[in-house]
Amino acid sequence: MAHRIVGQPVGKLEGLGKVSGQARYSGDVTLPGLVWGKALRSPLPHARILRIDTSRARDLAGVLAVLTAQDLPNILVGRRMFDMPMLARDRVRFIGEKVAVVAAVDPDIAEEALALIDVEYEDLPAVFDPIEALQADAPILHENPAAYEGAPAERPHPNVQSVLRFKLGDVEAGFREADRILEHTFRTQLDHQGYLEPHAGVVAIDDAGRVQVWASNKMPFRLKELLSQALRLPPEQIRVNLTPIGGDFGGKGSLMDLPLAYHLARVTGRPVKMLMRYAEELMAGNPRHPSVITMQTGVRKDGRILARRVKALFNSGAYAAFKPAPSVNLGGTGMGAGVYRIPNLLIEAFCVYSNNIPCGHARSPGEPQMVFAGESHMDMIARELGLDPADLRRRNLLRDGDHLANGHHLEHVRASDTLEAALKASHWAEPKAGSWIGRGMAMTHRHIGVGFTNARLRLETSGAVTLSIALPDTGTGAHLVLRQVVAEVLGLSLDEVEIELANTDDFTTDSGVGGSRVTHTGGRAAYHAAEKLKAQIEAEATKHGIPPGALAAIARAAAKDGRTLEASHFYDAKAHAAVTSFTAQVAEVAVDPATGQVTVRHFTTAHDVGTIINPIGHQGQIEGGLIQGLGFALMEEMKTEDGRISTLSLGDFKLPTIQDIPPLTTVILQDPVGPGPFNAKAIGEGSISAVAPAVANAVADACGVRILDLPITAEKVFFALREKVAR
Amino acid sequence: MIRLTVNGTAHELEVPSYRTLLDCLRYDLGLTGSKEGCGVGVCGACTVLLDGKMISSCIALAAFADSREVTTVEGLAQDERLHPVQQAFVDAGGFQCGICTPGQVVSAKALLDANPNPSDAEIREWMVGNLCRCTGYYKIIESIRVAAERSRA
Repeated sequence: MAHRIVGQPVGKLEGLGKVSGQARYSGDVTLPGLVWGKALRSPLPHARILRIDTSRARDLAGVLAVLTAQDLPNILVGRRMFDMPMLARDRVRFIGEKVAVVAAVDPDIAEEALALIDVEYEDLPAVFDPIEALQADAPILHENPAAYEGAPAERPHPNVQSVLRFKLGDVEAGFREADRILEHTFRTQLDHQGYLEPHAGVVAIDDAGRVQVWASNKMPFRLKELLSQALRLPPEQIRVNLTPIGGDFGGKGSLMDLPLAYHLARVTGRPVKMLMRYAEELMAGNPRHPSVITMQTGVRKDGRILARRVKALFNSGAYAAFKPAPSVNLGGTGMGAGVYRIPNLLIEAFCVYSNNIPCGHARSPGEPQMVFAGESHMDMIARELGLDPADLRRRNLLRDGDHLANGHHLEHVRASDTLEAALKASHWAEPKAGSWIGRGMAMTHRHIGVGFTNARLRLETSGAVTLSIALPDTGTGAHLVLRQVVAEVLGLSLDEVEIELANTDDFTTDSGVGGSRVTHTGGRAAYHAAEKLKAQIEAEATKHGIPPGALAAIARAAAKDGRTLEASHFYDAKAHAAVTSFTAQVAEVAVDPATGQVTVRHFTTAHDVGTIINPIGHQGQIEGGLIQGLGFALMEEMKTEDGRISTLSLGDFKLPTIQDIPPLTTVILQDPVGPGPFNAKAIGEGSISAVAPAVANAVADACGVRILDLPITAEKVFFALREKVAR
Repeated sequence: MIRLTVNGTAHELEVPSYRTLLDCLRYDLGLTGSKEGCGVGVCGACTVLLDGKMISSCIALAAFADSREVTTVEGLAQDERLHPVQQAFVDAGGFQCGICTPGQVVSAKALLDANPNPSDAEIREWMVGNLCRCTGYYKIIESIRVAAERSRA
C-alpha cells in the first residue's frame, strides 16, 4: 500500500531547537533561587563507615546543607529489587557509592565543601570477580538479600542477585545423541552506554507543596512511582516534567540522584540541581554488565545442533537496584540460543554481587554479550567440523513455527533471506584483496517491544492538529514518527501536526521509552487516536454540511457549539508479536601483523524490517547502533583494578570517533508484517549485537587468532599472534 | 572584571578566577546551548569559537576570553534563519539526541569557513574532536557535505 507521508525521507524536523541551541535539557533548567547539590563518594570498595564529620563543610560560606544517611529515612531504592541506600548507611560496597551530599549556592563551592567532609572507614574484605564471589568463603555483600523488596526467591549463594533460566527439551539426552560436544568460554567487558549527557536533574518544591522534577529519565511515570515510594509521598504530589534526554541507550531509567536532590530541596527550601560529572558517570552510573559465558553445544557431524547448554555469569556489582525487569536479570540472555532451532536447550544466567560499580541496562540488555559468545562459538564449531560458517548457520536457522528459548512461537521468520542478503552484498564468496584480510559473519534477531502508551489529539480552530504525548525525546526521532502517523491517517501535511509535550499530570500511566517499543506502542496509540478523531471530524462535517477536508471550518463550527474535537487512545501491548526482526552482518577486516591492530575495511548490515515510517531516522538507528557495537568490539572498556575504575574520563574510556567508522553497506528487506502502525516493526536495537562477533570471526579468518574476550585490542591480537608463531 | 563579546553582544562581568568559559556562558549569560559532556576537553559538546577559532570552553577560563569575541551555537542563526550548516543537519539527519549537536554545528561552521569544499577525509580530520554517540557519524558527514554543496550552489 502506498502512503503519502509514511515512508517519506523527511528530515529531522523535531530538531530545530537542537541545532539552534534552544532545546532545554534537564541540566539547562534554571529556577529562581536554584542551588547545587553534589555527592561525596566512597574511595573504598568495601568498608564500614565509622564516623562522618561534616562540621567543616557546614561552616563553609555558601553551603546551605550537608546530609548523611543519618539525616534521611532508612529507605532503600531500586527499579525492581530495592537494595540500594540513597546514601550509604554504616557501610560502603563500591568505589563511588554516595556517602554524603551537599547543597551550595554554586557548583564550585559544593565541590569545595565535599573536600571538607571527613569520613573514617574501616576496610572490609572485598570481592571483585564473579567466579570468586560465588565461592563458599567469599566476602558477602548483603547479609540477607532475600529480605529486600522485589528480591527473587531463588538464591543458590548469598552473592546471587537473581537466576534466569530458559529450558527446552532435554539437554542431556541431546548431548548423548551428538557426535561432538564443543565448549568455549567468552568474556565481555564493563562498558558504559556512552551517552554524552551525564545524568542531570532539578527538583523543586513549589508553593503548593508539590514536588516538581526535571530529569534525564526516559520513563516519567515509572519515575513518579519510584519517587513516590522512595520519598514516601503520595504520587499525586509529584510531577515529572519532560525534557529532551541527551542520549539514553538503556541507561536513563533510574532514580540516580533525584531522591537526594529532593531531600536537599526539602531542607534548604530552594530548588536543587544535581549534575553528575562524566567521571561520576564512569564511576557510578549504571553501565553494561560484564560477563563470563560458557557455551557447550552438541552437534552431529553434518552440523545439525542437537543440544546447547549456556551458563552466564553477569558481574552485577554492589547492588541490583538498576535492573528494571521483574526477573532482576537480563532478558537478552535468551539469545544464548542465537537465531537457531535448538531442540534441547538450557540457558542459566546468574547476576552476581561484587564490590564493583552496580550495572544496569544498556541497548539490548544482555544481547551483545550473549551474541558475541554465541556467534563466535558458531564459527569455532564450523572450524572444528570443517564446515563453511554460512553452511553451519543455514543448517540450523529458525523457521516459521519454531519456538524461541522462552517458548515464544515465531512466524514470518526471515533468518535465511537476511543471511543470504548480507552474504551477497558483502561479496562473501569472492576472493579477498590480500593476506591478513578476513571476513566474518554474525546474526541476531530482536523482538518488537511491548508496553503502554497514550496519545491525545485535538483539532485546533486553525485546522491543525495537536498531538499530546508523554514520551520524552531521547533522540530516536520518535516524535516525528508519531507526527507522520497522525498526518497520514488524517490526510494532513506534516507541519499541520504539532507535538505538545505532556507531563505526568496529564495521563495516568505510560511505559515511557525503551525496549524497542515506541514506534510500535506510541505509533499505535497515535494511529488509533487519529482514527477516532477522523470519525469525529466526519460526523461533525456531516452535521454542519461542511466538506470533511475543511478542518478549520469544522473545528470552528464545533467551537460555536462549545465543543473541541478531541480523541485519545491508550494502547497497551502486553504480549510480544510472533514476528521479530533479523539481522545478518559481515565484517571485513585487515590485521596488521606487526602491531595486531585491527582495521575494519568494510561492514555490511542486513535487516529484516517492517514498514519504514521515516527512512532517515530508521537508517540513523541502524548506523548509531552499529557504531556502538563496533566500539564494544574494538575499543570500549572501563578498566578496573580491585574495584577501582582507571578509565575515568572520555579521554581514557574510548568511544568511536568519526575517524573510526568503516565504509558501510546497508541492506533492507522490507516485510510489512509488524505489529506497529502501518505494519512497522522495530529497529533501535537491531544493529548492535552481532557486530562484535562478526569482527571476531573476521579477525580469526584474517590471521587464525581467536579472541575470546572483548574488546579485541591490538595488544590481544599481537600477543595471540606471537603465541601462535611460537607454537 | 572581564569584557567579552558573545554573538555580537558586549558583556562586562565579574567572575571568579576559576570560572570556566562554559560555566560563564551557561550560568552567567544564560546561553545553555553549549553543553558539558566529558568536562575534560575531549568530547567537543562545549565547542565555541573564540575569535573564529574552535576551543573547548569547558577547559578554558572565562578570563581567557577577556577582550575577545565568542561565537556560540546561539549565534549562528541570522534573523531567525538557521545557518546553512544547521539546516543541513536537520535535512540530512545529522543528529539524534542533540546533546553534541551545538558543538558539531559550531565545528562544522568553522570547517566550512576555513575550507568551503572539504573532502570526506578533510571532514573526518576536522571533526575528530566532536564525539557523537547516537548517529555513528555517517549522517554528520552527509550533513556537512550537503551544507558545503548548498553554499557552493
